[in-house]
Amino acid sequence: MSPANGNYEAVEQRIRELARAALEEGRVDYFIGWTTGYNESEVIPGFVRSADKVDDLVWNPLAAYNLTTFLKRKMPDPPQAKIGVAVKGCDSRTLVSLLQENLVDRERLYVVGVPCEGIVNRRAVSKVFANEVVKIEVAGDQINVTNQDGETKQLAREDYLLDHCRSCNYPNPRYFDDLAGEAVPEPEDQTPMWREIEEFEALPEKEKDRLMAEAFEKCIRCYACINACPVCYCWDNCVCRSRQPKLVGQKVNAQENLMFQMVHMFHVAGRCPSCGNCDRACPVEIPLYLLHRKMNKELKEMLDFEPGIDLEQKPVFQTFDVNDPFGQH
Amino acid sequence: MAQATDITTGTTASWDGEGRVKVVGILCNWCSYAGADGAGTARLRQPFDFRIVRVPCTGRIDPLHILKAFEKGADGVLVSGCHPGDCHYAEGNYYARRKLELLERMLPQLGFEAERFKYTWVSASEAQRWQQVVTEFIKGVEKLGPREGRAL
Repeated sequence: MSPANGNYEAVEQRIRELARAALEEGRVDYFIGWTTGYNESEVIPGFVRSADKVDDLVWNPLAAYNLTTFLKRKMPDPPQAKIGVAVKGCDSRTLVSLLQENLVDRERLYVVGVPCEGIVNRRAVSKVFANEVVKIEVAGDQINVTNQDGETKQLAREDYLLDHCRSCNYPNPRYFDDLAGEAVPEPEDQTPMWREIEEFEALPEKEKDRLMAEAFEKCIRCYACINACPVCYCWDNCVCRSRQPKLVGQKVNAQENLMFQMVHMFHVAGRCPSCGNCDRACPVEIPLYLLHRKMNKELKEMLDFEPGIDLEQKPVFQTFDVNDPFGQH
Repeated sequence: MAQATDITTGTTASWDGEGRVKVVGILCNWCSYAGADGAGTARLRQPFDFRIVRVPCTGRIDPLHILKAFEKGADGVLVSGCHPGDCHYAEGNYYARRKLELLERMLPQLGFEAERFKYTWVSASEAQRWQQVVTEFIKGVEKLGPREGRAL
């Protein structure tokens, strides 16, 4: 990822203008963007319902949340509303996945694309102080963190980017109606990088088994990962909460928890572009990227497929090719 | 303690199950189940630590069924169906192939040795091949032994 140009204010203004115009002209009933949380250390999803509130919207490197989560079918409220939404590069890929399967209605959607220069890992930044962080400010290549006692620390932005932002090949949205700001340069070599899972992959099987058991022992089955996931949408029909068939029990132990996560992983295979929303939603910090990044790596090797790139592409598990280069024997 | 020797794989284990592996086979009704049946009819020796689940088509198999078998204590799972192009329902095994291939590639990430899962194609007339496939697979699982201290 290239160093930040720091053009956040201009883009933020543009998002506000586009949202204001859409709301005033009645093209959308509400606009979903990012807004500041309960203090300046956090950016959360913000629903803007009138044009005079658009100044609540913000755009800065803390805007990690993938807002397409709110577009999952049956979620829009009220159901017939026309919705405006802001998307980064990775968010747009989940939107493309939803559009490929006709899970959201394109006619009722207004998409503002936001070229992204990388998102800061708020969880990592907030750990530099033992007590509560109240302000995180990103200025150029530097992050200024302030805690509740008014102490500040300077960090290098490069060290605190989200893992998948470092190796991002699609910083510009793949699908949008209006682009807020100029497209940022995309890497010339678009071969995906998987360095964040390489270390784990190289471990012996016994060790992986132990680490998985340790990680999933912590899971409290709060379902935040599947609720935050933009492409996981079975709702009441979710097999994880079903007793017939009973694939996953309601007991909370490492095995059942991992089984639950595998249901999630296999059901979003081919739609999940590893936007990381599940990782960030997890309250006990289970390294879910080890599963979905691995899944995407294998899909790339198996079928030369990357999810959410091409609107015309059929979802890989809903189709087949007689010449698939595996399982020929 | 009473001992039994599995003639096909050459392993000796006690009758009470200690040191024995549990292997689940998920076979399609039209090809591999008939192939295994044919192997039995022809009195071809087959390993006995093997439990078969018959399904209408490999396309019916969800990768989660296989994970569930592992979770419930299976030490190995073998999936077999019609050869690609020979599916009774024309294309079920083409869909299955993609799902099973992804599962096979994901299992090492969860701490499974590669020998614990295999998917293959055996037709109704290939009793000999079935004997070879199942014997080799179970030998591989027996070499690893029962799973212990597992995440799934």
